[in-house]
Amino acid sequence: MTHIDPLLHRVLDGESPSDDLTPSQREQFAALQRAVRLLAEAPAASVAARVMAEVRRPPRSLGQRVALWLTERHAVTISVRPVWSLALAAALAAIAVIPARGPGPVLGEQEGIAQFVGRFPGAKSVEVVGSFTDWRPGAVVLRDDDQDGIWRASVVLPVGEHEYMFVVDGERWVTDPLAGRYLDDGFGRQNALLFVRPLAR
Amino acid sequence: MSGAGVLSATDREPTDGEVVAQVLAGDAEAFGIVIRRYEAGLLRYATRMLGYPDAAADAVAEGLVRAYRHLATCRDPGRLKSWLYRIVGNRCRSHLARRSTSDLSLDDAPPIADPSDNEAATERAEQMAQVERALETLSAEKREAFLLKHVEGMSYEEMAAVTGERIPTLKMRVHRARAALLEALKEYE
Repeated sequence: MTHIDPLLHRVLDGESPSDDLTPSQREQFAALQRAVRLLAEAPAASVAARVMAEVRRPPRSLGQRVALWLTERHAVTISVRPVWSLALAAALAAIAVIPARGPGPVLGEQEGIAQFVGRFPGAKSVEVVGSFTDWRPGAVVLRDDDQDGIWRASVVLPVGEHEYMFVVDGERWVTDPLAGRYLDDGFGRQNALLFVRPLAR
Repeated sequence: MSGAGVLSATDREPTDGEVVAQVLAGDAEAFGIVIRRYEAGLLRYATRMLGYPDAAADAVAEGLVRAYRHLATCRDPGRLKSWLYRIVGNRCRSHLARRSTSDLSLDDAPPIADPSDNEAATERAEQMAQVERALETLSAEKREAFLLKHVEGMSYEEMAAVTGERIPTLKMRVHRARAALLEALKEYE
């Protein structure tokens, strides 16, 4: 790694004059100045028209917002209390006509099952990325086997709180609108929050 | 009496605080002053952060629209510049966090120098490409610190307002960014 003398840092911070720099420090100083001069060129593009068009657009009425919500794609999740989910599971088991396909995943004490459900009609792919995937795609892929636009996946996750988002068609990041709990991601958007509890034994 | 060299009150450029008050009072067009004042710097900052002009334009446009919609939450309109850089910086970081190299398309790649350009322009484009490649080798945090300090010319206090980081942390990042950039420049020369 290139070493920079503290004196040069002070000069670059405007705290010392450049008179006392050695020749090698002057070279470093000049190299950084050249780089800054190039980087300081402002791009020729402008977004003014685009931004002002948005600024001038009249705010949507409540009716328009509702209509927009109904016609746009949304992720839909169903949150139920554990007691109701157990009751629902029991009811489904009672009416199931297809025998169980075998044992489910073996869970550790500090693991639970997270179910992700989202409604994305017309989507070609849906996946979930989150703190449990290091925000990398490809780990949790949702499926829509009956092609009704409802995408689902169940995964085993460590017990605790996790942040996540849906990624639709590999490029559109969608905050789960019905997650109920959110956390600002520090980048101006909100991640959905999920709390995984250990499976009752 | 001659008025040469004397600016009347109406000639004076409104301060950021005055522009914000004007917009909040219902004059949406006044937001154009904000755009005119800060657009070039924000686009430069986002372009250097992201490396791709199209993505940078998206980040700045989205950031400015967001700033307009949340202008009432700008607690200190006198520090509008820091607030805008913070919003756009957040969008850049979000973009970087979510972008993998496989997402990049050729359409999004920076333009390649046209061989028909004159020699000086081509040489300058090559120098620019070298510096941009060197800058890309820095981590996002170091790159941000270097750009805010040296390209946007901010004080460490302004940088702290933009990034939410402490001043000693920022100084350390700038110092390391300088060393890393020099190292990378040597490699690309």
